[in-house]
Amino acid sequence: MVLRLNPSSGVPLYLQLIEQVKHAIETGAIRAGEQLPSVRKMAEDLVINPNTVARAYRDLEHEGIIELKHGSGAFIRESIVARARLMHKAQTVVQSALDRLASFELTEDEIRRLVENELALRRTGKQSRKVCVIG
Amino acid sequence: MRDWMIEAHALRQSFGSSAEAVVAITNLSRTFGSKTVLNDVSLYLPRGSVFGLVGETGAGTTTLIKLILGLLRAEAGTVRVFGVDPVSNPVSVLARMGYLSEQPDLPGWMRVDEFMRYMQAFYPKWDAVYAEELRAQFGLDPAVRIKTLSKGQRAKAGLLAAQAHRPDLLLLDEPSSGLDPIVRSDILAAVIRTVAEEGRTVFFSSHLLEEVERVSDHIAMLHQGKLVLCGPLDEIKAQHRRITLRFETQQPKPPIVPGALSVTGTGREWTIICDAARTALPAITAKLDVRIIDEHAASLNEIFVGHAGVSLQTPDALAQSMD
Repeated sequence: MVLRLNPSSGVPLYLQLIEQVKHAIETGAIRAGEQLPSVRKMAEDLVINPNTVARAYRDLEHEGIIELKHGSGAFIRESIVARARLMHKAQTVVQSALDRLASFELTEDEIRRLVENELALRRTGKQSRKVCVIG
Repeated sequence: MRDWMIEAHALRQSFGSSAEAVVAITNLSRTFGSKTVLNDVSLYLPRGSVFGLVGETGAGTTTLIKLILGLLRAEAGTVRVFGVDPVSNPVSVLARMGYLSEQPDLPGWMRVDEFMRYMQAFYPKWDAVYAEELRAQFGLDPAVRIKTLSKGQRAKAGLLAAQAHRPDLLLLDEPSSGLDPIVRSDILAAVIRTVAEEGRTVFFSSHLLEEVERVSDHIAMLHQGKLVLCGPLDEIKAQHRRITLRFETQQPKPPIVPGALSVTGTGREWTIICDAARTALPAITAKLDVRIIDEHAASLNEIFVGHAGVSLQTPDALAQSMD
């Protein structure tokens, strides 16, 4: 499992860490029952504050993704695998959508802007369909 | 070795009150001639924290570190390190501190092993086994003279000397300034190991905000001698947002948004950095005929630029005002 963090993105590092662990589970890079590195090892490998790792692990436990076993470490929960399968299924939806978009000859950047714009609209609750991809 | 759960618990516990402060600074001011370098600064360094001090050149960071070391006397206010005044108790305070300056002053004619023995004489608590471990970790050849070391290796030798007596407080003044990314990462990793293994406290200054964001759990920002921001990094990050607004019409001048620390953009789209004033935004956007099209956590760099009051105008707006 290779994790990469980007401190300049503005997204708090513990959130980036959580996302990356989830991503590693979805792609099968780490499987149910497997163990995550200790807080200290993870902090040293990523060169980040150990508290940041501890916080990410606590949140992952709270979300039911990992199980903290006293004295032996953090393990990926079996039950989370179902969720990962769902994500895998969703991935095929995304793939076919991207294939269709590719036939419009849109660039990767344009597609990303479209998706982000759509997500932002949903977040703010505005249902405007005006597409603003220029600029 | 403790297991990592207890370790995480201990780390949480270490976020103490001021009673647990390794360094307590209250209403500190210091001038050099007519120049006020530090102006009414108060801060507490909780035990077990990694405290990042941020400020542009000349903001007073080095002066603050020298005051903690007891090399300078406070003109107004107090500095307490381990509960005592570092100026009147230099021996007891310095024995528990490790210090690495931006350009460590090391005896060039000594070999690395000679330098280690030399430093050992100053510190009763010098741990020769640990020093040797650090030397191996840093890849320093014991038979090489200090003056022939590269800048990065010299910084590592300085860090070794600052750490081998296992100080309770490690002070680093711009430890990675002018070093290549690999050496920087090695130095930061050594700092991480220090806190992770023994819960010791680290105080360091840096211009590199990415670095500060990586390793710190507490930060303070100095701007022209004043503390503009101080607290747990998590809280500061949670308070500051970068919000992109889209106006219905072109805006020739930066819009006035109450509570915004900085406003940048052109035409219909403007990005603001704001702190706790975020809650007032919906009311403002309703009034201004504008909608929020993007909202993210602000990066430390954006927060710093926002508080330092730089970059309030876009190049376009600047060009217009100069016409």
